[in-house]
Amino acid sequence: MTETLLDIAMMHSDNLIARAKEGDQGAQGKVVQLWYKRIYNFSYKFFVDHDLAMEVSQKTFISMCKNLSALQDNTRFKSWLYKIAVNYCREESRKKKGNRSLPFDLVWNRDAEDSPQWESSGNRTDNPERQLQQQELADVLQEALLELNEEQREVVIMKEYEGLKFREIAEVLNISENTVKSRMYYGLDGLRKILERKNINKETIGYGI
Amino acid sequence: MGYKASEQDLMAYLYGELEGKEKEMVEQYLLEHAEARLELEKLKQLRHALGHVKDKEVIAPPIFVGDSRPPFIWNAPYLKTILSIAASLLIVMLVGKFSGMQIGYADSELRISFGKPSTPKQAVPVNTIESLSPNEVQQMINASLQQNNLAMQDSWAETQKKLNASIVNNLASNSAKIDNLVKQSSAASQQQIKDFVAAMQAENVQVVKSYFQLSSSEQKQYIESLLVDFAKYLQQQRNDDLQVVQTQLSSLQKNTDTFKQETEQILTSIISNVGNKNSFGTKY
Repeated sequence: MTETLLDIAMMHSDNLIARAKEGDQGAQGKVVQLWYKRIYNFSYKFFVDHDLAMEVSQKTFISMCKNLSALQDNTRFKSWLYKIAVNYCREESRKKKGNRSLPFDLVWNRDAEDSPQWESSGNRTDNPERQLQQQELADVLQEALLELNEEQREVVIMKEYEGLKFREIAEVLNISENTVKSRMYYGLDGLRKILERKNINKETIGYGI
Repeated sequence: MGYKASEQDLMAYLYGELEGKEKEMVEQYLLEHAEARLELEKLKQLRHALGHVKDKEVIAPPIFVGDSRPPFIWNAPYLKTILSIAASLLIVMLVGKFSGMQIGYADSELRISFGKPSTPKQAVPVNTIESLSPNEVQQMINASLQQNNLAMQDSWAETQKKLNASIVNNLASNSAKIDNLVKQSSAASQQQIKDFVAAMQAENVQVVKSYFQLSSSEQKQYIESLLVDFAKYLQQQRNDDLQVVQTQLSSLQKNTDTFKQETEQILTSIISNVGNKNSFGTKY
């Protein structure tokens, strides 16, 4: 993973967090700016829905600003923040299950995956075409993620995309490290099976540039 | 080698979170087990594929959290309460002042007054007028009691008299009526009993008479029929007997006849046998 300036800033934000904890609104604002993208992307991958992701992110940061003073160990800020986010994700997910209707685009996209259009555009190496293909691939991968159960999805996203250590994930979810690793294993296994079913393999992904 | 890399170890190895001896053990295991290597390779490919999902760019919206500054000293809730109490007290005092209200406590008496307090007048003892003396009252009571008694006695005597008279009257009329009734009933009853007994006797005589008549005639009839029946029976018996005797006689006669015939035949056969013995012998 290439580290951006943002990542570096995040890694050295202890001082900022300490100030935010003391109620410095400027510092709190900066913390939000630093972490918003991460939390948004986490919840986006969880739901694959922009509106829900925005809602969860905002709730997470409002809760963060209110409860930051209760955080005891500054070095645990990251897992603490993800814990809040995970809880809100679960809450929204429960609400979503309340109305039993299936989102329309989910149904529609599932049909689209199997359409020949996807297969024919598989091996092209044209640049604009390739970009489109990449986008399509990303969509398929995200849908595959959605098919995992919630426990595995949380772990896979936190590990693969948010780069948390297994120890940190265990802290976020309040479970043992071994359980996290098992969930990761079965999550990846499940993803592989889903992708195989969707006929995605080395060729379709197109190794190299 | 007994070691087998668990799923957990593989995961930790895949994400580079193993160090030192553990890492070496997993690597050794992978060298020895081709299928585990293959699986790890697949997982790596999967990770590569997953890497195609890029982060979305997003601009953090401003997050507004409610005013978190410490509350201004005037806004402290207890201060507000105290201030409001003080203000209401002040208002009460001002109103009291303008309305000239006075509150005093003296001789176990709480006095609230508006304006100047007026001293209450002394209560005047009531003057009782000289009137009848006890003697006179007694006399009046006695007189009225006497009057009352007299009137009571009069009315009582009168009612007694009336009551007596009515009782005497009642008794006289009642006894006369009862005497009358008794006389009537005794006179009537003697005559009636006589009549009743006579009627009864006559009736009885009649009944007995007719009963005897009836029974005697019935007896007569019965005996007659009995006699007739007996005669009939005897006749029948005689007839039957006669018949029996007759049949027996006739059967006896028959028997003797047949016997006679048989003997005659036997005799004739004997005679004939004796007569022509030879012919008889040749014949057979």
